[in-house]
Amino acid sequence: MKNIILIISLFTSFLFSNSINAQSKDMDNFTVRVDGLGCPFCAYGLEKKFKELKGIKKVTIDMETGIMNFKFPTADVLSIETIEEQVEKAGYTPVSVKITRADGKEENSETQKTIVNNESILKDATFPVGGNCDMCKARIEKAALGTLGVTKANWDKESEVLSISYDENQTNPTSVEIAVAKSGHDTKNNKAKNSTYEDLPACCLYRDN
Amino acid sequence: MKNILILGFITLLFSACEKPMQWQAVKQLDLGSITPIGIAPSEKGLWLADGDHNQVIEIDFEGNVLQKIDSLERPMHISYHDNTLYIPEYGSDNILKINDGQKTTLSISDSLDAPAGVDISGDEIVIADFYKHRVLFYDGKEWKSIGKKGKANGEFHYPTDVQLFNDKIIVADAYNHRVQIFDKSGSHLTTVGHLEGMNAATGIFVTDKQIYTTDFENNRVLIFDWEGNVMQTLTENIQKPTDILVHENNLYVINYKGKSMNVYKVLK
Repeated sequence: MKNIILIISLFTSFLFSNSINAQSKDMDNFTVRVDGLGCPFCAYGLEKKFKELKGIKKVTIDMETGIMNFKFPTADVLSIETIEEQVEKAGYTPVSVKITRADGKEENSETQKTIVNNESILKDATFPVGGNCDMCKARIEKAALGTLGVTKANWDKESEVLSISYDENQTNPTSVEIAVAKSGHDTKNNKAKNSTYEDLPACCLYRDN
Repeated sequence: MKNILILGFITLLFSACEKPMQWQAVKQLDLGSITPIGIAPSEKGLWLADGDHNQVIEIDFEGNVLQKIDSLERPMHISYHDNTLYIPEYGSDNILKINDGQKTTLSISDSLDAPAGVDISGDEIVIADFYKHRVLFYDGKEWKSIGKKGKANGEFHYPTDVQLFNDKIIVADAYNHRVQIFDKSGSHLTTVGHLEGMNAATGIFVTDKQIYTTDFENNRVLIFDWEGNVMQTLTENIQKPTDILVHENNLYVINYKGKSMNVYKVLK
């Protein structure tokens, strides 16, 4: 009797372990770092919108670190670009994306970085940019830093002013203003498209009217 | 001379009676790892909805944890009536009812998209339906949908909290930065707080004399009379407040960012 129980137990463990392996072989693991998850209503909304993706499993989001983890079927090949688009569509700012495919291969997003050399002429500039909250700050600074030639960007929530450092040989404040406006934030000389503005999360809607 | 003194005394007494109620901070309770979003009274103390950690916690008035209900999906502005706890689950689009440990789901004839607040009074139920920019009201017989996305009176931009009070429905119209008051037929009656520069009016509580609202991004609590006049503004030690409650002569303000709860008493 004892032996029968032992055999059944071993067989069950074998089946269970195979089932886990089969599951992990079918699913890719994703780690997405999102900036500016200050407002819980919006942050939970991001999680909710990702959960609507067909096939997605085990979505978790850590509010403190802004890290979202989930699994997605390998067969559907979810790319870094698609994830970044999905995060941005929801009005958030993706900082980094790491994918561990079911076969163990890893993929990481790359951030464009400005290279400063001996010929660089570094300048500073400040200009007003409309915004409300920490999520706005993340989005504005990412748009500015995404402009090749910008080495530093800091948006102050209180004064609603963006301070940048840039290489004059590579860019100028006008280009940065255009890039920031494209992200949904009005600058002194460039207004964001209404459609882009209206797609921002609720807490980021900074216009009075 | 005697008459003047009597008149002066009466005037003084009258002016003292007319003085509006003012709240004074008594203490701040550290809630540890709890990130509170909603608050409601309980049998032994207070219920707190902890959205970040998918749980609702009952604490005593000193902040000691009495019990936890976990495995929820982003619980928000909760409500407690007749020994039943009502939990709007933002992540699962359900209103969960918990009575004596038994969990059931509120039956609703329409689908919700991220319910953020619920309140109950007798047979009546009201729900803030966040992503649908509306309020659902059950009058005991049927469900009615109130409002739509917009900025005009009677319209909403992400409502986050609701309360039934006598013959009125009060709504935290969070991202229109105001409080709206409706009658139970769904007609808009008045708007409060829209001139005060609020930035995300996330939580509300009303009494017969006052309307309380949290001003999330500005780290304030504003207290209005029913005409919309500001009676008091609380700012000290308030960090991203999400909800408020007046219970047994105390005012409770919960701080999402500060992971704390402020307690106030009426200034005498």
